[in-house]
Amino acid sequence: MAEIHLQQLAHSYAPDAADPAYALKPIDMVWQDGQTYALLGPSGCGKSTMLNIISGLLKPSHGRVLFDGRDVTALDTGRRNIAQVFQVPVIYTSMTVAENLAFPLLCRKMPQAQIKKRVEDIAERLGLAAQLRRRANALTADQKQLVSLGRGLVREDVSAILLDEPLTVIDPQMKFELRRILKQINEEFKLTMVLVTHDQDEAMTFARTIVVMNHGEVVQSGGPNELFEAPATRHVGYFIGAPAMNFLPATREGNEIRVPGLDLSCRAPRELAKGPLEIGFRPEKVELTGPGQSIRGVVSRIWFEGLEEIVEVTRGGQTIRARLPAGSCRHGSEICLTIPEAGLRLYQNGRIVT
Amino acid sequence: MYRQKYLFLLPGLIALTAIILFPLIFTIRVSFSGWDVYNPGLSWAGVKNYVRLFEDTRYWSALSRLSLLAISTVLIQYVLGFALALMVWKDVHARRFFRVLFLVPMMTTPVIMSVIWRTIFHESLGPLNPLLDAIVLGGQPWLSSPGWAFAAVMIVEIWQWTPFMFLLLLAGLLSLPSEPYLAAKIDGAGPVRTFFSVTFPGLAAISVGALLIRLIEASKILDTVYVLTSGGPGEATETASYYIYIRGLRDFQIGYSAALSITYLVIMIVALTIIAKLMVRFLVKGQS
Repeated sequence: MAEIHLQQLAHSYAPDAADPAYALKPIDMVWQDGQTYALLGPSGCGKSTMLNIISGLLKPSHGRVLFDGRDVTALDTGRRNIAQVFQVPVIYTSMTVAENLAFPLLCRKMPQAQIKKRVEDIAERLGLAAQLRRRANALTADQKQLVSLGRGLVREDVSAILLDEPLTVIDPQMKFELRRILKQINEEFKLTMVLVTHDQDEAMTFARTIVVMNHGEVVQSGGPNELFEAPATRHVGYFIGAPAMNFLPATREGNEIRVPGLDLSCRAPRELAKGPLEIGFRPEKVELTGPGQSIRGVVSRIWFEGLEEIVEVTRGGQTIRARLPAGSCRHGSEICLTIPEAGLRLYQNGRIVT
Repeated sequence: MYRQKYLFLLPGLIALTAIILFPLIFTIRVSFSGWDVYNPGLSWAGVKNYVRLFEDTRYWSALSRLSLLAISTVLIQYVLGFALALMVWKDVHARRFFRVLFLVPMMTTPVIMSVIWRTIFHESLGPLNPLLDAIVLGGQPWLSSPGWAFAAVMIVEIWQWTPFMFLLLLAGLLSLPSEPYLAAKIDGAGPVRTFFSVTFPGLAAISVGALLIRLIEASKILDTVYVLTSGGPGEATETASYYIYIRGLRDFQIGYSAALSITYLVIMIVALTIIAKLMVRFLVKGQS
């Protein structure tokens, strides 16, 4: 178990070039011991690069990686005490489940009796005890993923478990179960866990801290609630939440920021830089009645979502999406939506203005 | 339903019968005849040829010699091919050059290469013995002593067909996913353990395929023996196919050589089936 400190970390695949294109732009972050983290972002945003740097499969071109204050940047993967679960279940195909679980201990020359005990304990914990003698290749994808997680857990010296999109190839119903097991393991073993994913639900339900990345840059880092309530950038607003956050272009009029054509405005902050303004709000914040500013519009689309529905309302060329109770309106009808003042966020140049 | 489909299948069926079944059935019929240089034609000789065959020790020793030759050369080809493939698998300097270089022997014509090798092995005129003399190993009677002649045939076989193993195994290596290697690294496995836990099991299926193809090919060995030693000295390098060739096309005992061929075919089918099953069981296990 360890605290992971990414100190002035950056990575470029061509660091000596005149204009080094950074796959990972400079960051400085501390990940606390025993916590759950999720690296969330679209494909190619640099999250796997970051994970590979932590696990030691990739040497960063700039900065250092510290485990509990100890510099491990130059250390080999095998000596970092990191476990990693990959997107595709990785098992040693020629071995049984027990042999798979014993493999890391065998490599570390642990005595046989101790290995046996440890393997049995972990298999019991992961619900694989009945499968121990089976050939690992005969297991289902989710069981294989448990085996590769188990290979990390058998080692008592593991600092952190890195999960590189481990649920992508798992059946939807098993995904939920596996996520529950991961969460339990974290609580029980007090292991630092870092999950890389592009699935916001996975990140929101699993991690205490979510690190949102885009174009090799950490855009925002915070708890699920923080990301939902106050996305730092447009990107986070779009990426987190379904449907995405509403962003409406706005202009400054005296002490107010106003959306032209709609009766939507908020107070302007005292100091404001130059650049395009936008007012953003979550579809979940929109209500049919209640205090707040109201917007009239025509219902142009409705998506059914069980007890709720997502309603798209157009007015003067602007579209707004709202999450409303099912059956609130009909297609083509005119409705009035209200948005509480507290739900409005101001953005300039795509970044939140506080 | 769709009865006309048989009409479309018919040309294929006729071609198949003409190409495979007819020669096979004809050979079986010939093997029961006394067709030779004095009495050509499909007479009926009963099982006379087969009785003679069972008492023909020259045939059986040729067959066991062939087994030794095929199994030993194929195994050596496998080990060498694997080693070469591992050498140029990862980023090494001039790996494209080496990959092509290693394939050259396979692209040459066996008969022509056997002639060249015969010249190399020539005891007084060939370049090999002076070279061996120079490095103190000493020249050998390559083609005139039974043991060395057998070794010479093996060397040419290995030289010619190791590239085939190399090609298949390299293709296999290049198709292996990278994650198991990362996992092995994280689990703390060294290079040897990684080879036996990841690389070798990953190539098990392709290894079985490569070994079987080569065993089938090696069992048919004829041209190398014909050119290099003509089965000699004595019968030291005579293989089953070469012996069948002698009986059939040199002695013109067509009926008898047909019986030899059929027996050879049955033995090969049975032996290779057993070998294939065993290899799948021990190499591929529950992996596929």
